[in-house]
Parts: sequence; C-alpha cells; structure tokens
Amino acid sequence: MKKYLYVVKTQIIKSLTYEFNVYGNIIMQTIIMITSAYFWRALYQGRGMVGDVDADSMLTYVVMSSLLSVLLITNVERRIQMSVQKGTVATDLMKPINIFGVYFAEDIGNIAALLFQNVLPILLIGSLMIKVPVIADIRDLPLFILSVFASFLINWLIAALFGMIAFSAVNIDALIQVKKHLLRLLSGSIIPIWFFPPGISKILESLPFVYIYQLPLSIYIGRGDRMQYVSQMRIQFVWLVILLGAFFFAQSRVTRKVMVQGG
Amino acid sequence: MIDVQNLCKDYVLKAKEPGLRGAIRGLVRPEHKKIHAVSDLSFHIDDGEIVGFIGPNGAGKSTTIKMMSGILTPTKGCVLIDGRDISKHRKEVVRNIGVVFGQRSQLNWDLRLGESFELLKHIYQINQSDYDRTIDDLDSILGIREIIDKPVRQMSLGQRMKGDLVASMLHSPGVLFLDEPTIGLDVSAKYALRKFIKEINRTRRTTVILTTHDLGDIQELCERLIIINHGVMMEDGRLSEIVDRIAPYKTLVVEYYDESAPEHDRCEMTEHSGNVAKYRFIKKEVTAAEIIADLSRIKTIKDVSMEEAGIDDIIKIAYGQSG
Repeated sequence: MKKYLYVVKTQIIKSLTYEFNVYGNIIMQTIIMITSAYFWRALYQGRGMVGDVDADSMLTYVVMSSLLSVLLITNVERRIQMSVQKGTVATDLMKPINIFGVYFAEDIGNIAALLFQNVLPILLIGSLMIKVPVIADIRDLPLFILSVFASFLINWLIAALFGMIAFSAVNIDALIQVKKHLLRLLSGSIIPIWFFPPGISKILESLPFVYIYQLPLSIYIGRGDRMQYVSQMRIQFVWLVILLGAFFFAQSRVTRKVMVQGG
Repeated sequence: MIDVQNLCKDYVLKAKEPGLRGAIRGLVRPEHKKIHAVSDLSFHIDDGEIVGFIGPNGAGKSTTIKMMSGILTPTKGCVLIDGRDISKHRKEVVRNIGVVFGQRSQLNWDLRLGESFELLKHIYQINQSDYDRTIDDLDSILGIREIIDKPVRQMSLGQRMKGDLVASMLHSPGVLFLDEPTIGLDVSAKYALRKFIKEINRTRRTTVILTTHDLGDIQELCERLIIINHGVMMEDGRLSEIVDRIAPYKTLVVEYYDESAPEHDRCEMTEHSGNVAKYRFIKKEVTAAEIIADLSRIKTIKDVSMEEAGIDDIIKIAYGQSG
C-alpha cells in the first residue's frame, strides 16, 4: 500500500511541473458552464418546472457538473497507450507492483493536484457568474459523497477497460475522443437524460453511464426522494461490481498477452 | 546461476501485402505467418560471469534476453535462475534481476532523477540504509550525484544511460541484463559504462549478460561470448578460444633489402610483391619468433610486422557460417 501512496505523491509532483496545462481545463469548463447556463435560462423562460426541476436547480446542476468533471478526469487510457507504444509495459510488468494499481494511483495523484488548481477556480467562477451551488438538502450530503465515490470508480474502470484496447490496437487516440464525447452525452453531464424521450432514457438508465454524472447531481439538486436515491444507488453498486469483475478478468488476459507477444 | 534449456520462441505475424490493395485485404482477411525467433537454445551461465550475446540485427538476441529476464514467455523450453523456473516463479525470481534496455528508458521523463530512484526504492521496498549504501557505491563509479537533481528530460543520452544503470542496480540484483547498453553513446560515456560493468562484477559478483554491436565492449568486457544468428546458437566459448578456432592462423609480414624472398617449410607464403613477403602460419604449430629466426639465417631482414584476424573478422565469419 505504501508504494502506491508514494506513486500518488510522485504524480502530484509531476502534475505540478506543467502548471500551464491546468488553465486550459479551467477555461474549457468556464465556457461549458456559461453556455449551458444561457441555454437553460432560455429554455426555462416563463416556465416554472421542467421535468420536476426548476431553473434555479438546473443552474446548480450546471456548476456542479463542471466541478464533478474535474474529479472524473482520467489519464489511464492515454497512459496505457503510451506505454504500449513506447514498449515500456513489458519492463513495468517486471517490477514487484501491479501496473494497473500504479495507473490508478497516478490518476488519484493527478486529481489531488487538480483539486487545488481547478476545483477552487471553477467553483469561484461558477459562483460569481452563474450561481452559488448549494445542496438542496444538507441531510443528503453523505449519500451524495458516497455516490460520487462510486461514480469515480465506475468512471475509472470504464476508462481502464477502454485503455486495454490499446494492447491490441496500439493507437486509440480517436477512440479515446469518441468515448469521451459519448460519455458526455450518455451520462447526463450536459443534458440530463430526463429531457430525452422516455424510451431512450429508460435504456440509458439501465446502462452504467448515468450513474457517473446524473445520479450524484440529482441527489445534490434534490430531484426525487431518498427512497429513489437509494434504489438508484443500488443499481450503481451493481454496475460497480460488474465492471470490477470485467476489469480483473481483462487485466489477467492482457498481462498474459503481453507476456506472450512481447512489449 | 542461469540454466537455459531448449529455449524456443515463435511469433505469429500478420503477413502484410504491399500497397493499398494489400492493406485492405489485410483488414478483411489477415494471413498469419509463423516466425521462429529463437530455436532450441541451451547454455549455462555461472555466478559472476560476464557473457556477451553477439549476433547481427534480428538474430534473436533481444528475444532471448527478454525470455531470460522473465518479460517474455517462451514457446518451449525453460530458463532456470538459481534452480527456479522463471515463468513459474516469476515474482520471486524477478526480484533478483535487473534489466536495462538501451533504447527504452525506465526513468520517468518528468521527474528529477533522484525522484525516479526514490520511487523505485518504494516499489522494491529497499530500506534506507541499503539504499544509501548502494547510491554511495554507484556514485563512486559513475558520479551519479552530479546529475541526481536534474530532470530526466533535460539529460544527455549518456547521463540518462547512467541513470538507467543505477536504477537497475538499486535493488542489488544478482543478475543484470543489458540490451545494447552502449548504443549511441560517445567514447567517454562508453568508457564509464564499461568501468561500471567491470566494477559491479568485481565487487558485487553480479552476473552480467549483455548484447552489443560494439567490438570494444566485447574486447574489454566479455570473458565469454555466445554468438547467435537466425535464433540458432553459432558459437559459445571464451573469446580467445573462439578466435583460435575460427581464425587459427596469423600472418607475418617481412621486409627484405631486395626483391627475392625465401620460402619457409612450416608456413605458407601468401603474397610477395617488391621487397615485402607475407607468411601465413598456424598459431599452434609454430611461433613467429621461430620463423623470423629461420628466415634471418638465410637472408638479412629489414623489418617485420604481424597481421592478426580482428574480432570484427571473427564475428563476420561466425555470422556468415549460417549463410
């Protein structure tokens, strides 16, 4: 365990070397927040509630979605692709440490560095330009934190499984982009899926993506009651277990493949 | 102690046909081709040996090194390190192994060199006093302290290679595999690297197995050579023995005061032009001194010199034997 913590620490040092990189994300999130805010304001004109949510809650949703997106940045796909291309996977596999554990620790380190560099500025910009995002019911805070934790793991596992494609495909740059935007659309990070036609939103509810963004955000803005949250978190948990199983299965297959084909 | 028994490695490659048509056909119906990268290698390496793996590009050296260091699973055969099969007890065996690939660095591009070392220290769970001792030790050979605070991305190739060598020795492995460690290095960096290999072999009794295309490395480091080509063992033995076997003769060049040159019954005159004659003889049968003594009794000699088959000639011949 100590070695993984050290990887986290090293990664924080590493992320701080490229200070300039962080501004890009702040600017991007600001643009997304402001455009979405205009979009929702225009849509809500003269209407009190749309889809059980009022305009004010929707603006909270927008700001929180941007904040959450910082926590959900993953580098594991690119990291796997890089080490497959450079051929360092094979030597990494020789060290007495699990490489996927290292990738996970690195992503944690990245996010830890971003918490200060990104979350605070985005919160500040969002609060000043759009609205201070206040949780609807403070008693739901533990539930919100728990669901964010689970959504972080689900998001990371999907990214890691995705990255493993690089072991056979080598270059997955385009796929990474497709995955990123598809996830944006299907997870309700920009448009909550309750605005989608009922048939489609039913299908999406059975997929893991809505449990990454929409579930914790719904809890935060108070859409629904506690019973609904708990039953949805149960599905979230089931997805977490399924993805964990898939991850461990894929991990052993992929490692064996590297050992047979070489790095 | 390393035992390699009947090691084989086959690769399955997608056979690609040239041109756009070939590329499309490759996507639709790929054809597979089997390649024998290494076939039936067996040898034994004792503790504290320095063994040079020599062969032309694509001979299977790197593949063999990868299998010996547990990176690659052999198709057939096995590698035993201290009596344990590396593909079965990989986790334990690998702790006693260090690997450096000349063309791929294991150092972290964005970190200072020292931070990469610290990371490895934690990964291998080396305690502080052992770690300090190893760094001190290696510093005295390579002068690593001078560059320890420098980010790896700003390093020269030579500095990076020094860093990689230290990184591979941090956990004090008993066996060190080096795949073309001197590739692209300048003379002084090569010199430092050879000194390093000799030192760790002498003081720590580290077994070193290296592949190289550099004749200087072979001459200075390798007591023993294993020459492979097309994945097949061509030669295995001491450098001097291989030289004797492949090129058992030397050539004596004699310059006289005039154009006539006498024959000698125990050697063969291969060339005679002007005042100079060349005599080729088998090293085991006669010495140069005897021939000179005999010849000078017949005729006055002005000057003598020796021509000997160089290592590059030997290697060329050894590579060539398989066609």
